Amino acid sequence: MSAEPCAVVGVGQTHHKSRRRDVSMGGLVREAVFRALDDAQMTMADIDAVVLGKAPDLFEGVMKPELYLSDALGAVGKPMFRVHTAGSVGGSTGVVAASHVQTRRFRRVLAVAYEKQSEGNAQFALGSGKGASLGAGGSFAPFIRSYIHRSGAPEHIGWMVAVKDRKNALKNPYAHLQIHDISIEKVKASPMLWDPLRYLESCPSSDGACAVVLTDEAGGKEAAAAGRPPAWVLGTASRSEPGAFPGRDPVRPAAVVDCSAHVYAQAGITNPRRQLSMAELYVPFSWHEAIWLEGHGIAELGEGWRMIDNGDTEIGGSFPINCSGGVLSSNPIGASGLLRFAEAALQVRGAAGEHQVENAKVALAMAYGANSQYFSMWVVASSLQPFG
Amino acid sequence: MTRFVESTITFPYKRSLGPVIGAFMSALTDKRILGIRNGAEVIVPPMEWDPRTGAELAPDFVEVGPAGTVESWTWVPAPSVQHPLDRPFAFAFIRLDGANTPMFHAIDATSPEAMADGMRVAPRWRGVREGRINDIVCFVPGEQSEVEGTDAGAQIEPVVLMEYLASITYVNPVSPTLDRVVDASRERRLLGQQCPVCGRIYAGGRGHCPIDAVVFGIDDDLDLPQTGTITNFAIVTPTQYPGQTETEPFVRAFVLLDGVEVVLGYQPVVELPYTDVRVGQRVAAVWASPAEAVDTGGQMGGTFGQLIGWMPNGEPDIENPDLVNRIF
Repeated sequence: MSAEPCAVVGVGQTHHKSRRRDVSMGGLVREAVFRALDDAQMTMADIDAVVLGKAPDLFEGVMKPELYLSDALGAVGKPMFRVHTAGSVGGSTGVVAASHVQTRRFRRVLAVAYEKQSEGNAQFALGSGKGASLGAGGSFAPFIRSYIHRSGAPEHIGWMVAVKDRKNALKNPYAHLQIHDISIEKVKASPMLWDPLRYLESCPSSDGACAVVLTDEAGGKEAAAAGRPPAWVLGTASRSEPGAFPGRDPVRPAAVVDCSAHVYAQAGITNPRRQLSMAELYVPFSWHEAIWLEGHGIAELGEGWRMIDNGDTEIGGSFPINCSGGVLSSNPIGASGLLRFAEAALQVRGAAGEHQVENAKVALAMAYGANSQYFSMWVVASSLQPFG
Repeated sequence: MTRFVESTITFPYKRSLGPVIGAFMSALTDKRILGIRNGAEVIVPPMEWDPRTGAELAPDFVEVGPAGTVESWTWVPAPSVQHPLDRPFAFAFIRLDGANTPMFHAIDATSPEAMADGMRVAPRWRGVREGRINDIVCFVPGEQSEVEGTDAGAQIEPVVLMEYLASITYVNPVSPTLDRVVDASRERRLLGQQCPVCGRIYAGGRGHCPIDAVVFGIDDDLDLPQTGTITNFAIVTPTQYPGQTETEPFVRAFVLLDGVEVVLGYQPVVELPYTDVRVGQRVAAVWASPAEAVDTGGQMGGTFGQLIGWMPNGEPDIENPDLVNRIF
């Protein structure tokens, strides 16, 4: 029996900020949930199952947040699932929610992911509560140094990505960072945090949430008939690998290559550069755009930075990346992956507003986590058979 | 016998309370207890949403109590430091007058014999109230509220934030491999393990090969060289957080050992300013004196016992363009 086609019919997110001191944790997730339900023209009562994702509990010090938030999410008496795959968790939340529909276990599934970083401290949490935490930048800086060395990319590539994503964020009212005078000079002049990464080449710490409503083929077609185009999920994939072992290449992890191949095979993609309209990639530090362009086979090995240098990855370029402003502009960690998935869906639904890519038909979203070792991806499209 | 290591993680989380719990906490500082209307019901403590359906509730607050009736209780004969009272007490569901739902709190009763379903209780307020649930020290038998010490009055500003000092203590088993690594380090030996299946060599006391899922035994041990080359590094500008030990930028380096395919990750570099650390730098192991405390586990990149880091060994740098890619 083939899988049930799965459609995204509702997307919601909060305005992401450093501190959402005006709302409780439940209030924060509910903002995103009601926006997604309104978008889907549904209420909590219409939902059959809820999937919740967030980063490690140490971030806010709430153990078992899926139980703490079940009533806030309208999940009382319904199946409720917690997903946990470090920074990739938002993506994994989308993957799990889609699988509930694809297996015909549930007809309407609510995927929710969040982080309220202001209640704790990310450096503390990433350092397992000890001193001398490297932070995410400290973990990834060596990988980036290796990428720059092996590709021969000039140093301005990182600055370009930092500027592009912040300019995109100015077109996204939900984005956290709104730096109106962002420029290469400003990025260059910002403090060095983790050589070669500067302050403005790094993601912020955000409070925020994202919610997505998924349904089956009948539900998707119903939405389409009512003039609310769905995003069809053409494929989902997850992969992971151990974080450290002799011979591991964290710049081109086997897991990202395998995960891409798996999601492309399901979606019928043989030439991602030509067949995809755009991608929302998980880029918390500027250089990861180039790294993942290659990891996803969108660019040839060693050539990812050239797409950035040519302006190909800008909105209006030949292959736009992170039109929403990406993780570089908003990083409520647990939600960041689902935000990529949701933004890709908005693009193929033609609902991305000012940061819409013209005529976007097929979009890729990915998230990664921990020591560049967990990956989750989906490909969404404006129709079930976009390639005929 | 397996050795266990105890470690405690503590952090002062900051809860933003939101408009409903914020109002409840603010009222507590004024010795008032608020519920919220949900149709014909009054829910105490108030909630932002209907607990059954998730529907948003209008901020229609109702003052309840302060006295109420015990609906159910349990006796706590030996309180821990985390309990609200330092002597035996009861935890109880108390339905405050005017409420439809019971509130969970402590009752200061002399003995379990003094407790009964249906008994009447009233709050004992803290003199200095900050907008926390323990502004009510506990409930006491009877109809009469009381204040402990001098009443400092209500907070003037609305309470929007609550600090929550979370603390959790873990007791983790340590693999015998790690113990052998630490023991060897006291003799200034750098002990590694070679996987009998794939041949990869691991350092840092990891007890297994993550590729083959093989648990290491004593036969897999081997002595590793104590000189190597820095392949890559991270310079970290520390941000301050509770428990942070660093104030100045510091470096963590990857060291490829001589003659073996082993990179030690996240190694401290000593006797070299962090600004001078570079790819290709030759280094040698630096050991602490036997009297110094041994790291017993849990650090990122493994545990190396008396090995405190690496210092330049005076040899010229190695020029190898592929070195920088040797992170693992």
